[in-house]
Amino acid sequence: MRVLVVEDDQVLNRSLSEQLERAGYAVDRAEDGREGLYYATEYPLDLAIVDLGLPTLSGVELIKGLRAEGKEYPVLVLTARDRWQDKVEALKFGADDYVVKPFHIEELLARVDALLRRAGGWAQSELVCGPIMLDTRSQEVRVEGEPLELTSFEYKLLEYLMLHAGEVLSKTQITEALYDQDFERDSNVIEVLIGRLRRKLDPDGRYKPIQTLRGRGYRVALARGNDAESASEETA
Amino acid sequence: MGPFPAHWIRSLRAHVLLGVSAVLVVLFGITIFALDLTFQRSTERALEELLDAQLLGLIALAEPDPVLGLTLPEDPADSRFNVADSGLYGALWDGTGARIWQSLSLLDRGVDPGPLPEPGERRFTDIVMPGLAPARGLLMGIAWEYADGKVGTFTFGAMVSLEPYTARQQSFRRNLIGWFAGISLAMLVVIAGLLGLVLRPVGRLERQVRAVEAGQRSQLSGRVPTELKGLAGNLNALIDTERRRQARYRNTLDDLAHSLKTPLAVMRTLLGDSGRTETAEDAELIQAVDRMEERVTYQLRRARASGATGLGMEPVKVAPVLDDLKLTLDKVYRDKAISAEVAASSNVVFLGDAGDFTEIAGNIIENAYKYGRARVRVRAWNEDGSLRLTVEDDGPGISPGEAEALIERGSRADESVPGQGIGLAVVREIADLYQGQLTVGESDLGGAKIDLDLRRASYDSERM
Repeated sequence: MRVLVVEDDQVLNRSLSEQLERAGYAVDRAEDGREGLYYATEYPLDLAIVDLGLPTLSGVELIKGLRAEGKEYPVLVLTARDRWQDKVEALKFGADDYVVKPFHIEELLARVDALLRRAGGWAQSELVCGPIMLDTRSQEVRVEGEPLELTSFEYKLLEYLMLHAGEVLSKTQITEALYDQDFERDSNVIEVLIGRLRRKLDPDGRYKPIQTLRGRGYRVALARGNDAESASEETA
Repeated sequence: MGPFPAHWIRSLRAHVLLGVSAVLVVLFGITIFALDLTFQRSTERALEELLDAQLLGLIALAEPDPVLGLTLPEDPADSRFNVADSGLYGALWDGTGARIWQSLSLLDRGVDPGPLPEPGERRFTDIVMPGLAPARGLLMGIAWEYADGKVGTFTFGAMVSLEPYTARQQSFRRNLIGWFAGISLAMLVVIAGLLGLVLRPVGRLERQVRAVEAGQRSQLSGRVPTELKGLAGNLNALIDTERRRQARYRNTLDDLAHSLKTPLAVMRTLLGDSGRTETAEDAELIQAVDRMEERVTYQLRRARASGATGLGMEPVKVAPVLDDLKLTLDKVYRDKAISAEVAASSNVVFLGDAGDFTEIAGNIIENAYKYGRARVRVRAWNEDGSLRLTVEDDGPGISPGEAEALIERGSRADESVPGQGIGLAVVREIADLYQGQLTVGESDLGGAKIDLDLRRASYDSERM
């Protein structure tokens, strides 16, 4: 999951980014509104965290700008002013949620998690595809009710695939979502990880949870759980 | 100015009307006096001419008489001499002062002519006759030369009653005063009307200023006479300054909020960094940061509430604000899939600061989203100069004891939901500025019902 943090306070920006990275996100950082808008429109992001009080371009303008460019990923607003008029304005112009400063990092991470889930069409923190259940909150994975041990990277990869269950995801998309920009694109890390994940999820080859579409990418083809249906009805 | 009520002394209209009245009284007083005098003079002259003619008529009729010296016929030419109390009287005295003839109109009354004039002398005099109105008389002494060459002195007198003349004079005076009083009154009415016309822009300006103060308009506008343009311009500048002062005040507060809270956020994230092992000091620091945050948040929100119905505010349309809040909270609480119903007609207004209303409504409605299970109902309407807002949910509800504590300043009913206590306490503080009443009750949806009555936040009922 690739997240953009636009925050002008350098210390907060760095500390927030580090915690997001520790939670498994690939993080891009910007310290003013113009730079933020550039990243927001040029990078393949899954979510943006935008402070409202930014130099050079206000947070609201930034959000308007990225929505005008057709970007549909969720935007979480950070605000120090804690004024309803600001919150209302930000959400009216395309933000999806807000967190008031000073926030608890756990709360912020929970909001980010929820926004990403909703963007994938999931209404609850438990993602279910066929026999696989992934809880984004507890970061727990079960197959047919049995807990499964995954490494942090394997978990992130599975979460990304399941959040977008049904969609075809290219290798580039996956790479960009999981790694920072300085990653070596030509490596075969994704193939290796997908292979490991397949063996762990489906050692007997019964479910075939992750399909490979030659030249196009990967897809989780298992039917989404019940909550996914209700969620897609809701968004429709 | 002693006898006038105090507000008259400061009233332009009263000044002008009093001034004009004084001028009219003096001017018309002099005019009436002059006209009256002229009328009186001309009456007197007419009277004298009449007496002159009558006297000459009597003299012309006189005949020598062997006993009395002179005699006059019983019925002189003017018949009024022969009608009792007709107002025209005649008499003849001889040289000794004995009356030797008097007209029938005098009946048997005597006439006292006073000292008789010398022959050849004419004298006008006021004559008092017992039982008759005052009269004006003309006495004329003559020397009568008989055919035998003897000469006798006689005095002819003609008298005319002043009664009809006095009556005419009085009626003339009454008419004169009546007309002038009428004209004065008409002039005062016309001037008062003109003053009303002239002062109307002032009245309009005054009403506009009052409307600006009440928050019903933001600027003085419309056509203003040249004389008042300066005043209107200055007032607009004042309104503008006030508005900008308020905006600056809020910006300062916002800057302060930003510059206090971002470092607090830094402290929080550093302390909550999952890569660090938490020590006892960390826990204390986290608590201190929490306390700081709470105080800063509460005081800043409180300070920002303006309670302004004051200069330069426009009435806030309530429905769009509530719709925006619904949109915002629907997004934020999307996972709960709350079905919220907002009922506010498009003409519902809040007279005050838009930020204050958004703050009040936002806090109350967010609580409903937070505690409600599936349904939230928001209603707003204007009633007798107040704005009413009720927010209901189908959550667990609030017990009377909790309600009391919740509305208390800065208290927290539910420690597990941060900001909750601050939310409602801030609502109460802002509501106080609009003489608001906050009541917590039960909703028929099953949860809490918050009823807010903002008494200073709408038009008076007669203006609705």
